[in-house]
Amino acid sequence: MKTLTAKNLTCAYEDGNVLEYLCLEAHPGEVLALIGPNGVGKSTLLRAMSRLLRPRHGSVQLADVDLWNQSPRRVARQLAMAPQVSETHWAITVKDMIALGRAPHRGWLLPLSRKDHRVIENVIAQTGLSDLQDRPVNELSGGEQRRAILARVLAQEPEVMLLDEPTSHLDLKYQAEIMGLVKNLAHKDGLTVIASLHDLNLAALYADRMALLSGKRLAKVGSPREVLQPECLSEVYGLPVVVTQHPLYSIPMVTPTLQT
Amino acid sequence: MNNCRFAIVLILLTFVLLGIIIISLGMGAVFIPPDRVLAALINPAEAGTISTDVTIVRELRLPRSILAATIGAGLAIAGAAFQGLFRNPLADPFVVGASSGASLGATLAIIMGLNWHFAGFGSVPLAAFIGALLAVFTVYSIAEIGGATPAISLLLAGAALSTLLSALVSLLMLTSHDTLHEVFSWTMGGLSGRSWPHLLSSGPYMVIGLIALWLMARPLDALASGDETAQSLGLPIRKARGVIVAAASLATAAAVAAGGVIGFVGLIAPHLARMMFGAQHHRVLPASMIIGAMLLLLADDLARTVVAPLELPVGIVTSLLGGTFFLYLLKSRGQSLRG
Repeated sequence: MKTLTAKNLTCAYEDGNVLEYLCLEAHPGEVLALIGPNGVGKSTLLRAMSRLLRPRHGSVQLADVDLWNQSPRRVARQLAMAPQVSETHWAITVKDMIALGRAPHRGWLLPLSRKDHRVIENVIAQTGLSDLQDRPVNELSGGEQRRAILARVLAQEPEVMLLDEPTSHLDLKYQAEIMGLVKNLAHKDGLTVIASLHDLNLAALYADRMALLSGKRLAKVGSPREVLQPECLSEVYGLPVVVTQHPLYSIPMVTPTLQT
Repeated sequence: MNNCRFAIVLILLTFVLLGIIIISLGMGAVFIPPDRVLAALINPAEAGTISTDVTIVRELRLPRSILAATIGAGLAIAGAAFQGLFRNPLADPFVVGASSGASLGATLAIIMGLNWHFAGFGSVPLAAFIGALLAVFTVYSIAEIGGATPAISLLLAGAALSTLLSALVSLLMLTSHDTLHEVFSWTMGGLSGRSWPHLLSSGPYMVIGLIALWLMARPLDALASGDETAQSLGLPIRKARGVIVAAASLATAAAVAAGGVIGFVGLIAPHLARMMFGAQHHRVLPASMIIGAMLLLLADDLARTVVAPLELPVGIVTSLLGGTFFLYLLKSRGQSLRG
């Protein structure tokens, strides 16, 4: 399994830099949660780290090889990305969508091999999509769609997985299901996982490490206890927060204060 | 639907298509029943076969029917590809500007008297192809907003450019008296008087376009799921898009060069194909071809019979029927198209 490293990463769109000289390393077997306010560049960072966006300066290395020195297909065999906005409005079935995840392995011209079918079956079982596999994706609920996207990512058999807001628009149960599955993949199968998350408490519950993005750089990287400090969070989010302890586990919990 | 059932339904559709071809071959000024059509096709030299049947079926009607089927298939597969590529159910060769671009290119070639063949590749389809490519790239670059092509901007850009190019075609026609009739009857989208030479000069282009699009079925699936998704699956999306646009333009240009501007087949056939077989392109593309071929054959049958002994240009028939379908589509699926 492989380490994904961002070195002095500077990313920009037309209207200026979004990230500047940012360094981040994600290790095999860990879930790294990427947190930070809206519009701070979490998606940009994930896009840059998955070869979707070419950085202006610096590099992203997968097991010490620059992503941009490898073909997109070669990268896709090792690293999978679930974009935040996935276009799920067209009537492809869940199973066919998951099958797209095999493309980096078998190429774009060949039909599915026996091994491809086996991987797809496994992934469907793993994500609990057996009953939904023949349904069109556009008819599924938001939670089911996110699970289907995760299944497609898993069908790539990645060693590194980048997830942009995998739990947005999901209720508590689906959030827990997705994050539980992701955590298992990291801990049991040794995957390297980076997930951007809005819910700080969900991140604290499931992530091994957290990276707090603020003002084009990482304000803090470390264990949930190290990153979720009230002073720092209050400043970054522009809102006074209180940090307490989870009633059952020894992890921090963030509670906002009332604003009037 | 599994692959086995898909194959069976596709084979059944192919038989229906063959049936339509045989019936079409019997229709016209002289009606020939299907059994005599078959006899003329299969045993032209046999004693029981009527010799006028053989002449009418094999020499007059067969090339036209094959041409109609080919054009229908080409427009339909191009429509299916454009719809997947632009993630837009309204895209078809006409809407994205390919047809009118091809039309302008072909008109220029006819007026300038370019008429050569090289190894089976004709000059008129080539000019049509260049026109179609330029038109599609223009419409696409105007309609693209932040990596997506919203339905509205695609329709507007396509309509504007198509109108512009059609006006140019009209202008060219007015200024060139010698070839006016030739160009005029061709732009109306007619199949009357079309024969083997038309088929032969467009055929090679069509075959290349069709094969290239078939090979791009899976990349089209990925692109239809979104650019980021396609890219993260390792697809070099610029290259893939370029190949798909070129192949779809090639199929469109071959169709337009052979039969003029024939609207709506490329819009309706893919929709019917998706209704029957779901959205996956390795099913939609071949199914669209067969359905498109059927639609154009039926439209041509209508064009030949409703005002017999006169003939309507088949483009008028497809536009009348297809336009109605298009409006129905806008009305019934308006919500989902507005994005």
